[in-house]
Amino acid sequence: MTDSTLAMAALKAPVAGARDGRIPLLKFGWIVVQLALVLLLFRQYQIENSGFLLLSQFAFVGFLIHAHLPLRFRLPFFAILSMAGTALLFGVVNFAWMFAIGAVLIGICHLPLPLGVRGVLLLSMAGILALQRSGMVGSPWSEAIWPILGSMFMFRLIVYFHDLRFEKTPETPARAISYFCMLPNACFPLFPVVDYKAFKRNYYDDDAYRIYQIGIDWMVRGVVHLILYRLVYYQMTLAPAEVTTPATFIQFILANLLLYLKVSGLFHLIVGMLYLFGFRLPETHNRYFLSAGFTDYYRRINIYWKDFMQKVFYYPALFRLKKLGPNTSIALAIVWVFVATWALHVYQWYWIRGSSLIVVQDILFWTMVGSMVVVSSLYEMKFGRKRSLGVAQFSWKAVAVRTVKSYTTFWFICLLWSFWSCERVDDWFALWHVLGGGYTLEFLFWPAVTLVVSFVGNIQIVMPHSDEKAANRPWILQPHAATLGIVVLLIGISVEPVYSRFGVTASSTIHSLRHSSLSRLDAARLERGYYEGLTDLTRFNSQLWEVYAKRPANWLDAQGAGLKRYVEGFAQMEMIPSFVYETSYGTITTNRFGMRDRDYAEQREPGTFRAAVLGASSVMGWGVSDGATFENLLEERLNREFAGAPFAKYELLNYGVQGYQPPQQLPNYERALALQPNGVIYVATGRELTRSANYLAEVMHKGIDIPYPELRAIVEKAGVTKGMGEVDGQRRLKPYAHEILAFVYGHITGHARDHGIQPIWVFLPQLREGAWQEETPETVALAEQSGFVVMRLDDIFKNEDVTKIRLAEWDDHPNALGHQLIADRLFERFAAERARVFAAGALAQ
Amino acid sequence: MSDSIKQSVKDYIMTTFLAGESPDNLTDDLPLISRGILDSIATLKLILFLEESFGITLEAHEADKEHLDTLNQIAALVSSKLPATASR
Repeated sequence: MTDSTLAMAALKAPVAGARDGRIPLLKFGWIVVQLALVLLLFRQYQIENSGFLLLSQFAFVGFLIHAHLPLRFRLPFFAILSMAGTALLFGVVNFAWMFAIGAVLIGICHLPLPLGVRGVLLLSMAGILALQRSGMVGSPWSEAIWPILGSMFMFRLIVYFHDLRFEKTPETPARAISYFCMLPNACFPLFPVVDYKAFKRNYYDDDAYRIYQIGIDWMVRGVVHLILYRLVYYQMTLAPAEVTTPATFIQFILANLLLYLKVSGLFHLIVGMLYLFGFRLPETHNRYFLSAGFTDYYRRINIYWKDFMQKVFYYPALFRLKKLGPNTSIALAIVWVFVATWALHVYQWYWIRGSSLIVVQDILFWTMVGSMVVVSSLYEMKFGRKRSLGVAQFSWKAVAVRTVKSYTTFWFICLLWSFWSCERVDDWFALWHVLGGGYTLEFLFWPAVTLVVSFVGNIQIVMPHSDEKAANRPWILQPHAATLGIVVLLIGISVEPVYSRFGVTASSTIHSLRHSSLSRLDAARLERGYYEGLTDLTRFNSQLWEVYAKRPANWLDAQGAGLKRYVEGFAQMEMIPSFVYETSYGTITTNRFGMRDRDYAEQREPGTFRAAVLGASSVMGWGVSDGATFENLLEERLNREFAGAPFAKYELLNYGVQGYQPPQQLPNYERALALQPNGVIYVATGRELTRSANYLAEVMHKGIDIPYPELRAIVEKAGVTKGMGEVDGQRRLKPYAHEILAFVYGHITGHARDHGIQPIWVFLPQLREGAWQEETPETVALAEQSGFVVMRLDDIFKNEDVTKIRLAEWDDHPNALGHQLIADRLFERFAAERARVFAAGALAQ
Repeated sequence: MSDSIKQSVKDYIMTTFLAGESPDNLTDDLPLISRGILDSIATLKLILFLEESFGITLEAHEADKEHLDTLNQIAALVSSKLPATASR
């Protein structure tokens, strides 16, 4: 028996004739009170995003009207409400485009043409849209609509077209609009594949009060899932390089699977909201962590997906193949389903992100899961499976047997899931080395916790259920009483004066759970994107992809145009010399020396302060036009305000290269020496230590020679060899990060001192505070010890509105205003340190 | 005829999927798919049984909750497939 049927049964019997959608005033009042509390819950925990809170308020007000309309007006009202909600979030113009595209797609389904012709027309239309999604063909609408437009039509159009073939009753525009434009969809690119038949069949097919109450129960359950997800996401997730002991290995694989709570939470929230408008849909997930085998797991997790695949792929294949015999037909149909599942994930990713997702883990993962479902199904065909009408006798033996099955299934799926979600296959295999030793009691912690949860959960599953008994339970034991209790508890502990009494650890944990933000790891990944331009997230299980999903397909496409080129040696890449490229933010020009800068004479003129500015994308000026880089603005101001005091001329040479890591500044510095600088300005932006160690792991993995004997010695000491997995290398080099960076800084300052070059080290923070700051004190100390003139701009962005100084939500590089701020602050620091920076005698004149 | 179809299907479901359960608990309106009694494998077995026992052919789109969720629905589906004289 499922939770939904239990919940339905547990509510009191409906009043006579209660399938007309009417609800007694008292019960309606009770629903309204609960909705107000749910809204407060959403607000207190900032559920998902500000758009969702706005949409929820809109939906709940809509519900107040909807619930009192005559039944025949409710569906058209919901269709209008859904369209208005989408327009509210996307703006009228964007919504108009979405509506027009949708109207064409739905219209094609209803053309009085043979099925095959309509299918070809739909595919042609999808092909045109796909070209537009990729950016190869322009589109007049905003890029922002793609993820939602995709989620509305990519699967539901398949279901709709499939069902129309067998539909006997005519469709209405209101129903079609309601189905595709369902109100909550405007907020969620990941949306359950609602079945069209279920959408129609279950509309107000039960007592309205019961339907609304279950909707509220499910929304609250969704919030609980999302809060648990945050707990896992913020507190438990580890990077592969952080897996160093058997205990962390267990935590790593467990956290990966538990992140799925986000999907089940969202789906409960979405379907719960649809219940408020009479759509009594089936549940989307059913205690999937307690699955007692692979087939069972497939039946319990993302049930809508399973139903969709069953309807559109499995049964049609099975019926065609059944003459081959049950076993062969089942095996082949399952293989077909898993091939389609893989292909549809690629397809889904394309519509949401605008890029393809073909990775080996995906193929292997679906192959393994598919194989296990085949084996499991064939076993079940031969030996059967115990089914129950829910009235069998309870026994502890049954609980124990089911616990063993679900516990082993759970951990096996944890392993598989960790493989699937690992960024690289070799990273996953490298994890297994830590199981060689270092076992402590801590290793048993999560296995013990999950065993207890599994056992308790299975008691509830094995326990006989009776609809009649459930309905006659006292009010306090019914599901909606539990819902109310959870809502009150969650709201209660979300209030600062309350949670601040629970001690530092508990209160800071609750505080973190109240906000939706990037975890330590995803923030680091975003930083990684910031430093390296690596924005090719390939997984669905990272919250970061939601940020990148909003990014236009051709966002700052200079990289694709070949702004950099690969070179032999330790630096790996450099800017292409004499290059001009127009981008959406302005012109990028590189001079003959491969700097993003104006041209300079090869020989430094006497009386000139010429400094090579070393850095990465911020220095290079990612996202701003040629004249707007802080390096250029600072150079102009130095010449304007410091002319003749002490130097006649100031030249700052922009040696910033997007994606450069600290060790790459060594060859970059050596390259700059050709232009005889008498100053070097090293711009550090955070995580210098980690990035230094990681870069050496990367070059060793790629088998690139390290031309610095000191760095080679460190690598050897760490036991890192050429070709070694990058994650393994990172893990081994992490303890030597300080030593590596000390060499990088010391090598530059040592040479600079010997050659009359003034070494200046600028600390440029990122626009937002974050975990990257952890390394700052150690890095600053290293820079000072190495002999740099240190200029810290730590608080430069502190009081600024980050949305005004960054390029975009998915790109935290400073925009033109940000560069102006940096240039101004740097000028102030140069003015303050003038005597020291331009000290006579220290510089090669 | 409908009652005999229903009884025959009920016997099959009790024997094949619900051994040890009381037949009284399998009512004509009990949702078999929603309750997890008829999953994809059981559905295939049931379809093969219906086609063989009653000499009918079922379509892929009929393997759903609208046609196979209860004994009543199954009996109605089978009846609709039988020749008019046989279903009387």
